[in-house]
Amino acid sequence: METASLIVVLVIVLALFFDFTNGFHDTANAMATPIATGALKPKTAVTLAALLNLGGAFLSTEVAKTVSGGLIREEQISHDLFPSLIFAGLIGAVLWNMLTWLLGLPSSSSHALFGGLIGATLVGVGMTAVDFGVVMSKVVLPALLAPFTAAVIAFVVTKIAYSLTRRYDGKPDGRSGFRWGQIFTSSLVALAHGTNDAQKTMGIITLAMITVGWQASDDAEPHIWVVFAAASAIALGTYIGGWRIIRTLGKGLTDVKPAQGFAAEASTSATILASSAVGFALSTTQVASGSVIGSGLGRRGSKVRWRTVGRIFAGWVITLPAAGGVGALAALMVVWLGTWGVAIDAVIALAIIIGLFLYSRRDAVDSNNAMSAVSESGTAVKVKKNPPPTRRAQRIAERRAAEKAARQARKEAKAKRSEDAR
Amino acid sequence: MNIEWMDFVQVFVIALAGAAVLVTLFSLALRLRAASGRIPVVAPAEFTDAIAVLTDKQQRREEKAAEKAARKSPLSDAQKRMALLGSYACFALCGVVVVGAILLIVFGEGH
Repeated sequence: METASLIVVLVIVLALFFDFTNGFHDTANAMATPIATGALKPKTAVTLAALLNLGGAFLSTEVAKTVSGGLIREEQISHDLFPSLIFAGLIGAVLWNMLTWLLGLPSSSSHALFGGLIGATLVGVGMTAVDFGVVMSKVVLPALLAPFTAAVIAFVVTKIAYSLTRRYDGKPDGRSGFRWGQIFTSSLVALAHGTNDAQKTMGIITLAMITVGWQASDDAEPHIWVVFAAASAIALGTYIGGWRIIRTLGKGLTDVKPAQGFAAEASTSATILASSAVGFALSTTQVASGSVIGSGLGRRGSKVRWRTVGRIFAGWVITLPAAGGVGALAALMVVWLGTWGVAIDAVIALAIIIGLFLYSRRDAVDSNNAMSAVSESGTAVKVKKNPPPTRRAQRIAERRAAEKAARQARKEAKAKRSEDAR
Repeated sequence: MNIEWMDFVQVFVIALAGAAVLVTLFSLALRLRAASGRIPVVAPAEFTDAIAVLTDKQQRREEKAAEKAARKSPLSDAQKRMALLGSYACFALCGVVVVGAILLIVFGEGH
């Protein structure tokens, strides 16, 4: 087997490993809220998420086409160098993903992937090889706009959910029934995650295969075995990753109520599914976090903790350049040392991955290394335990108080009259 | 640099409309179900760190309150039946919306 083909095989293995870490990292995006509100048992939630991620990966290939057919101008890169650069980019993505997972930093697997890929290409070839128009319109702008879109939608639908189920007669409102709905909306989020995130890996593998001629360059559609492999890797990662999260889940989501969780999940799934349809490669973590914050604000008596929001936002902003930096370093080795550089990259990456894995095993599972960025976003909004009444509730209370006062006055007048009569 | 801003508007409008329809239908379904005298009392499936544990006594109290509210409902039996029917219709429509959204993704490719 020639060297380029060998490197493509390495790319496929590393891309599938990235896909696995992506599932591992993002289990909580779909299942944090239903577990937190008690809509689903943790075991059921994680199994469901894994199965639906698997199914979702087969639904669409628009995002895969964005990755494989637009981001990088592969015609400007020599066929010998390109697989090595993709490999370097993947190393950046995997290392950043594992590091942020271990340190409990909010980050996005998707942006780690794009950052690594862009960083490696910039160093390996130069500015001309990256289509910044596509980067801007399909990656950067969706990254900036999607969390706000999700937050606004979640805010609106939370208001709808609460206002339609609010009762002014003091009788039970039946809002715990939203737990039923959460089973379906969280399933939809897991499905949406599969349609968007598994495709990024498919896109990378397709891109690598096009460079060595295993696939025609005018055909950006991933092969069926690539779809199967990527779907299985993300499902497996989701299933295995979920168990760590279960043990500590809830530190940031203690305040989430079933109606709010339902609204947040509806917003997340609608945003991701609509974005997937037009090929926006956005971060499901950011969308889910935006929805949790938006739905928190949709409840009465809520207040934003700007410091926490700032921390989450900083984590998002830093991901693209940080993964790009690691990818660029790995690409530098390739540019300087050629095939030997790829070998050294592979050995260093393997050593770091094993090191991080062993460190994570040694370290006890706690809120720092098992919590998801989504759970952290739950602390970004403070909701009062006894929220102020709505205007209608206030009017009703005032009317009742007036009626009570009038009754009291009548009673006193009657008592006075009977006393006078005596 | 060619940025298709209409795509962003389209995503926002479709996502907002989809989420709003789904949440409205489900909330209406719960409201109608409560009106029909079957107020849902759904206990958490499991008590994780995130949920304040609900004792059996508290759960029974909630169920009793729901039963009492159902007994005192001012609606006639026919009205209650209509409300329950409406609730089932809303739940079914929720399912249709979700399936429709998925089909749109599957068959709406090649945008």
